[in-house]
Amino acid sequence: MSARGFEIADRLLAQAAKMGAEARVVVREHAMGHVRFAASELTTAGDFDTTTASIAIAFGNKHASAETNQTTDDALAALAARTATLARAAPEDPEYLAPLGPTRYPRNARAWDEASAALDPTARARAAREAIALADSRAIVIAGFVQSHRTETTIATSAGLRADHRATWSQMTATARTADGTGSGWSGANATSASEIRGAEIARDACDRAERSRAPRKIDPGRYTVVLEPSCVASLLAHYVEAADARAADQGRSYFSSHRVGDAIFDPRVVLRSDPLDPETPGCPFDDEGVALDPTTWIESGAPKNLYSSRFWARKSGRNATGSRSTWHLSSTSAAPDANALVAQIKRGLVVTRFWYVRWLDPKQILLTGLTRDGVFLIEDGKVTHAVNNFRFNDSPLKMFQRLVGMTQQTWRTPAEDTIYRAPIVACDDFEMSSGSDAI
Amino acid sequence: MFRGAMGMRRREFLVAAGLVACARPAPRAPRAVRIEDVLQSALDAAKRAGATYADARVVRRRDQGVATREDHVVDVHDDESYGIGVRVLVVDASQSWGFSATANVDEASAARAARRAVDIARADAGPRKRPIVLAEMGVHRDKWATPMEIDPFDVPIAEKAALLRDVWREAQRVKGVKYMDGDARAVDERKTFASSEGALIEQRVVRVAGGYAVTATDDAGDFVSRAHELPPMQAGWEHVARSSLVKDARKIAEDAAEKLAAPTVETRKRDLILAPSNLWLVIHESIGHSTELDRALGYEANFAGTSFATAAIASGKIGTLEYARDNVTVFADKTTPGGLATCGYDDDGEKTQKWNLIEKGKLVSFQTTRDQAAWIGEKRSRGCSYAEDFSSVPFQRMPNVSLAPSERDASIEDMIAATDDGVLIFGDGSWSIDHQRYNFQFGGQMFYEIKSGKISRALRDVAYQSNTIEFWHACDMIGSAKHFELHGSLVDGKGEPPQSNAVSHGCSPARFRNVNVLSTKR
Repeated sequence: MSARGFEIADRLLAQAAKMGAEARVVVREHAMGHVRFAASELTTAGDFDTTTASIAIAFGNKHASAETNQTTDDALAALAARTATLARAAPEDPEYLAPLGPTRYPRNARAWDEASAALDPTARARAAREAIALADSRAIVIAGFVQSHRTETTIATSAGLRADHRATWSQMTATARTADGTGSGWSGANATSASEIRGAEIARDACDRAERSRAPRKIDPGRYTVVLEPSCVASLLAHYVEAADARAADQGRSYFSSHRVGDAIFDPRVVLRSDPLDPETPGCPFDDEGVALDPTTWIESGAPKNLYSSRFWARKSGRNATGSRSTWHLSSTSAAPDANALVAQIKRGLVVTRFWYVRWLDPKQILLTGLTRDGVFLIEDGKVTHAVNNFRFNDSPLKMFQRLVGMTQQTWRTPAEDTIYRAPIVACDDFEMSSGSDAI
Repeated sequence: MFRGAMGMRRREFLVAAGLVACARPAPRAPRAVRIEDVLQSALDAAKRAGATYADARVVRRRDQGVATREDHVVDVHDDESYGIGVRVLVVDASQSWGFSATANVDEASAARAARRAVDIARADAGPRKRPIVLAEMGVHRDKWATPMEIDPFDVPIAEKAALLRDVWREAQRVKGVKYMDGDARAVDERKTFASSEGALIEQRVVRVAGGYAVTATDDAGDFVSRAHELPPMQAGWEHVARSSLVKDARKIAEDAAEKLAAPTVETRKRDLILAPSNLWLVIHESIGHSTELDRALGYEANFAGTSFATAAIASGKIGTLEYARDNVTVFADKTTPGGLATCGYDDDGEKTQKWNLIEKGKLVSFQTTRDQAAWIGEKRSRGCSYAEDFSSVPFQRMPNVSLAPSERDASIEDMIAATDDGVLIFGDGSWSIDHQRYNFQFGGQMFYEIKSGKISRALRDVAYQSNTIEFWHACDMIGSAKHFELHGSLVDGKGEPPQSNAVSHGCSPARFRNVNVLSTKR
């Protein structure tokens, strides 16, 4: 339990109480350490430790929020006063809902690793050095980033809600480029415990991919069966969950306006769930409004089962508020034993390591554009044969759910900031690579 | 603007830095803190711990905004961060950088952060492949601030919300327009920089933005959105208050309705005429990022990627690489009035400047910081170092990068009249470019078909895709200076940990021949 977090929250709530305001306070004590390497040497390293206090204040339906990282009595009083001034001046918001009252949440000790909380800079430097040494030994140029975080979150409201959660996470990513500039590979890992981040292993995987991707052959754009590595799957998934919004669906401005919850529109094997207590995606059991993040199934039995609903929209539309989620776990009810088993099913296709610069084209179709990078490999007659050029794609995450060839049993926690995506390798048909890219 | 304050009195310095008394009334005056002493404490501690060079930044960053949905306010926020970041260069048996930051702005905490930065640098010490060389630089003691008439933080939030509600009152009158998202935002960045070489620079940069997007829907379940094109700017609230946001509301809504009913574009090659409100983003992605020296030399390889322009350095071709047609000159400028990246001094303490990146089609230079200049044999930095807030490590960030206008008097109307088969695009939409800046694809807000020198009708579902070198060689008409506009973004991501930079890009309208235009309708 974060005594300091509650102490700060209580000081702010006391300020709000004096004004006769409703209030919600979130205190986040965050420490981060990092080391960056590029051109096969360490470049920058640093750390910081800061406590952020944010308060949302309401007078009736008029509300505002503000945040500071200064926690002296004067600073917190100034924060409350500034927020109250803004709230009083704000127009009425008919969508405002009062803060939540006392709520019980499960504690999630799995999100914290005591040893990792020390944020030891020598451990980060060691991981980076291991990566550089391995790349040097193979005459490959390597760049990467090692980061470790410790966060303690406290939430309290004027209605009596009090909760806290603490988490650690570490991440390393590395991009290896062959000295002749014709090959590039990437690898990365994300974990609650820093001890699971192994610099040499990540560097070896990136270097292997760089060498295998060397001197890619040029092939035409077109529609391909693709085997998407977990990082690709996570980037598509992030856009799917952004689109799966109940308000937009009900207002007629979403793919889900014409494809309703419960419609059998997906492959029956696809399962997408969020559960902060899932040991493979350990997360915070509440969101910043205090909504309990109960286990939720988003896709199952061939149909979307739920859409994100804010507290306001849930009340208006007769749904349950889902809360804002930060853990996602994609899996299959009938999975392939490994990636080779997926590749073996494919006559002609592509293995894609990573997507880059994925952006919206059309929300109605959940249509995106983006590019491949750091290794694309041709599949011919069930085998990976050689590296090919990069592509731009214009397609949709829906392809993973509607034209599914298969998913692997194993899933991986993919590198991401503040959100846990656990994803398998996914193979799907008919993915549109719309133009070629000369990038290596 | 206030400058030349070398002999400023301490009290004046502290107040201007926003560190003694807040601009807003507070219940009690904060305990006086001598910012020079805090900075000096960090520099002294760094030196005592063994740093060869050190700099420190006390940064207060404030971000205030209001967001509306149709006729009501859904968010009012006012967030602030404050602290000191200390960067050290340690040269023992090897060279290494270290950085540490704290939210506690007092002498003891600053000294602790400095010692921690030295410890981190030592943890990273090891053989270096590329030595760290700091370019020669003048030692500046100065002040700089955004010129403005109305401090946006003095404008009541209700006034900002009222402006957005006035927009909705007009926009909702257009049939089919059912939704609107509006926002107004102001960002205040107050930074005091000191270095072990004696620099002491205080700057205040204020940026404002206001905008909205309306959505039109039809009975068949179709919908499209149209956003206003007012660019964010380094300015006071007058930039938003005197803009045409409200006056244009009806037209923007009518545009949305027109686009909803428009035919989808046919996928094929044709000429493009890009308004400044669209072209700025192409400049940003295909020239701005490609000419960042750290990116070109692999220092962003793991995140933002590298650059095809690396070839110009490796083969000693700076000045010969044909980046664009010979009518294209592109300049970098951190002094452009109103430019989002404009300031007096960068985060190394170097004076900001203006220089050409592309001259008559040829790549002639890159964007650099003090420790990068030597990488390409230059003696002085281009002044492109920036750290987003107190906890951010300074590194190379994009200056304002702009397309020089043509000396010939050419307008959009002239370009339309000279085009047989083309598409005219206003506003920015979807954008994406590969990690070496070759293949890009952009959308827009409004699209018009041009046939035989005239606009024939609106189109929808339009994107265009090209290759940077091909695209800039296809540019055959550029508008004159009187059609030059500055657009930009408050958020441009780069680096690990990721940092955001605000940057502007100026241009006149321009025409590009025979570009891939494609439909996004499936």
